[in-house]
Order: sequence, then structure tokens, then C-alpha cells
Amino acid sequence: MKFTILIICTLSCVIFSLFIGTVDLSFIDVLKALLGRGTDTNNIIIRELRLPRSLTGAVIGAGLGASGAALQGYTRNPLAAPGILGFTACAALGAVIALYFGFYKWIPLAALSGTAIGAFLILKISGNRKSASTLILAGVGVSALATALTGLTMNFSPNPWALSEMVYWLMGSLSDSQFVDLLICAPLTIIGIIMLTLIGPDLKTLSLGEETAVSLGVSLGRLRAILIIGTALCVGSGVAIAGAIGFIGLFIPHIIRLIFGSDPIKLIPLSAISGAGFLVFADIISRYLTGPGTQLYLGILTSLIGVPFFLYLAIKETKV
Amino acid sequence: MIHINNLLSGYGPCDVIQNISAEGKQGELIALVGANGSGKSTLLKTLAGIITPTSGTINYLGKELAGFSSRKRAKIISYLAQNREAYPSMPVYEIVELGRAPYRGSLGQISSTGKDIIESSMVHTKTQALKDRKFNNLSGGEQARVLLARALAVDAPIILADEPISALDPAFQISMMQALQREAKKGKIVITALHDLSLASQFSSKIWMLKNGKIVAKGVPKKVLNAENLKNTFQVKLPKGGFKALQLAN
Repeated sequence: MKFTILIICTLSCVIFSLFIGTVDLSFIDVLKALLGRGTDTNNIIIRELRLPRSLTGAVIGAGLGASGAALQGYTRNPLAAPGILGFTACAALGAVIALYFGFYKWIPLAALSGTAIGAFLILKISGNRKSASTLILAGVGVSALATALTGLTMNFSPNPWALSEMVYWLMGSLSDSQFVDLLICAPLTIIGIIMLTLIGPDLKTLSLGEETAVSLGVSLGRLRAILIIGTALCVGSGVAIAGAIGFIGLFIPHIIRLIFGSDPIKLIPLSAISGAGFLVFADIISRYLTGPGTQLYLGILTSLIGVPFFLYLAIKETKV
Repeated sequence: MIHINNLLSGYGPCDVIQNISAEGKQGELIALVGANGSGKSTLLKTLAGIITPTSGTINYLGKELAGFSSRKRAKIISYLAQNREAYPSMPVYEIVELGRAPYRGSLGQISSTGKDIIESSMVHTKTQALKDRKFNNLSGGEQARVLLARALAVDAPIILADEPISALDPAFQISMMQALQREAKKGKIVITALHDLSLASQFSSKIWMLKNGKIVAKGVPKKVLNAENLKNTFQVKLPKGGFKALQLAN
């Protein structure tokens, strides 16, 4: 029942988002445009603007939710989030460097390259050491380095316009999403979510502690490598398209755990589904609140919606 | 039968276990005794495959365990860690179910035989009544029993338990030892690190006494727990009349 409600909520958000925008369209208009039988303008609005935006949001939200759940399972810490491994910062650095040189079309590739370098560094630094704390330390180090280099790049920004582009890009937005973005983002994110879902049983065993997990046949090296690559694919492809969108990876698995329990086998796919719904919902709100000449960036909104709810849950849980 | 031959093992460059050779037979409950830092936990972790030995071999039924995959090894050796760790909000049944990890499918499915083994291990540890409760809502003794049920659910021919009765009250200590003894009587090899020499003397069929990473005495409890060994290993005197263990009231 709870699962059905979750699916309905997520699908409703995606469908509802097709009706949101500066041009009011009826249900029939949207349906016709989806089938390619609407007016030319409506077809463009739905098929080239709103649908790619909704689907890209859903895919990115799913990747952030799944990677947050997997990382919280691996570190056995509900405060772990995708940013902890430094991939958000690495992808942001790649994108900011592309903006520095004015290579706007290359932002996704630059962000993905940044993530790949970050993943390589973390795999190398955490090396054969099997402990989760080594991985977190490696992630924090790489994240701090990437953040410093992003700051450096912005510091030497060639002109104020490039700097403002960088700042706005870092706030995260789906407003420029196109189908080509979805084609870059979706396959990588889906592969990442599948990888993370497949390590669910090992993450569940890890809840008994690293030593017991090893004694039960879990290979910690293999588990960590899949976790790093799966998270890099989800986070890197999301940041590459929409910029830095925070808090979903922390907040969504936390809520899902309260509703569905802490089993990572269920938690990872369920966090993916609800992450998809939540990001599309946040994007709907951002479109509602955005007037002509202004834009409320999605990265800001996800935190503004998420933080109070998260704090409410944290206080409630502490009282229990 | 498990054969340990010239085992050297430890953490990093330092070998804690210094050239240990020993063997355990089906049906034996072997108590590892020794002072803190003598190498009991390191030996158990090496046998469980958690620590890779520097040199030496561990054979089970004539086959070297180092040649087995981690999953295959996990089906032969069940390890009960000293730390009572589990996800706080996880229900008891799901924790015990994790004992079937070496046998599950890629998405965590468990066979009907596996479910029967889980039920039986919960019956033996008297944890069926706790099955829907969360781990963090259990007492220390209940947590210990649940994790023992998890270790029994592996249904492995060798059970290693690292100080399974630490921080438990006397009744829980006795019931944990009885559960381990029952497994040994079923034909399994049980090796457990113990600090309580009375319980070691009462329940074990054999004792391996460790000092500075070496087995300094091994054999039946009466032979090993003599005044000289106790003085040399623990700097304590043998109680007058020998070790007397507590019994459960009913």
C-alpha cells in the first residue's frame, strides 16, 4: 500500500509538472502535444521543454536518492550524503573550468570528467584499506581540494559575466534541460542505480559490522569499488546537467527509512523513486515561485524545502 | 577436522600470532583462554578469513581454506564477533536472516531450506518471541542471543565465537555456553575465546591456552588449567578444590 502511494505520488509529480509553465495548457492540449498532434507551439512546449525538464529532474533525483541511501548504508551513518565522496565538488570544478574558458557546450563533459578524476583519486587513496572511515576521509579530502580549486577558478574569473554564470550554475537548475541532456544523464544514472541496487544485500550484511560481513563472504574491496563507481555515475551525471543540487541524497533516504524500514535492499530503489518525485516536485515549486525576470534556483529550493522537514523529523525521532 | 599449521598472523608488520599449530575435531568445544592481548581474537579472525595470515596454512577436511572463495569459506566457518553490532532499527528476524548471506541470491532471496534453518536457530537460542522487535530495544543478553542465532543460521560446520559471554549476567552466560555446547554435540567444531575460566572448565572439551601469540598449553580442561599454567599465564592461583561453575536454578 505504502509502495503504491509512493509510485502514485512520483508519477503525479511528473505528470503535473507538464502543466506548469508560463503558458496555460489544458489536459487535452498536453495529451495531444505528447502524442505530437497538438499545435506546433504546444508540441514544442511539451515535447522539447517541459517533458525533458520533468524527466531529467526525475532521473537526477532518482540518482541522488539512490546514492544517498547506498552511502548511508555503507557508512552506517544516516548523515552521509552523496557530497561526502566529493563527486559533487569534482563535477562542479569541471563545469566551472568549462565556464572559465567559455566552453558552454562542454559543461556536461567537463563535469563528468571532473567526477571521473575524483572517483579515480578516491579509489587510489582508499586503496586496499578496507575501512569505511578511510573512504570518508578520502572523500572529504578530495571534496575540499575540488572546492578550493573551484574557488580559485572563480577568483581568477576572466570577467564578471563568467563569474555570475559560475555562481548561478552552482545553484542548480533544470530550466535549460533538453532531450540531449536526458540522453547523457539517463543511461549513466540508470547504470549507477542498478549497480547500487545490486550491492543492497551486501550493504545489509555490512550492518553487522565489517568483520562479520567479511566472515559472511562480503568482499569489502569489491563493494567499495561498486559503491564509488555507482555513486560517481549518479552524482556526476546529475551535476553535469543540472548543477549542484543538495540535500536530496541526505533527506530522502532518511524519510524512506522511517516509512519502510532500514533494509538497504528496499531502501536504495525506494529512495530512487522518491528522489525522482521530490526533485520534480521541487522544480514545480520553483516554477510557481518564479516570475518574469527572476529565477529561483532548484539547488536552493531543495534545501529550503528539505531542511525544515528534516529538522522536524530529527527532533521527533530524538523525542521518541 | 580443522588443522592449523605454523600460523603467523597479525596487523601490519607486527605478527601477533607466533607460529601456532593445532587441530580441532568434530564435536569439540575448544576454549581459547589467555590474558588480554595474548592473540585470542587475532587467531579467531585469522581462522575466519578476516585477517590474512603472514604464513602458515589452515586446512579443513584436508583442503586449504586460503584457496576457497570468500563465499565458500563463509559457508564453512561462522564467526560471532565480540562487538554486538547491528543496525539499531533492524528487526530481529532480519538480523538472524543475515546468517544466510553466503547462500542468498543476487537480490537477497533466501531459499525455503534457509528459512527453516533460520527458524531452527531462533528456536535453539530462544529468540522467536523477539523476532519483530528492533535490535536497539533489546537488553544486552537478548542482543547476544540474537547475534548467536545469526551465527547459527549460517549452519557452518565450524563456529568461531569471540568472547560471546562478555558483559552478560551469569544466567545468560550459562545459556550462551549451553547453546554452543549443543552445537558441538551436533558434530560441529566450536572454538570460542573465553575469559571466564570456570565456564571454560565446565563447558569445553579442550582448552588452548595462549600467551604472547603462542599456544603454551592445550588439552582437556583439567590438564591445562593447573596451578603452574595459571601462574605463568594469568599470574593467578588455582582456587582450592579447582574451578566451580554456577548452575542454572532450573
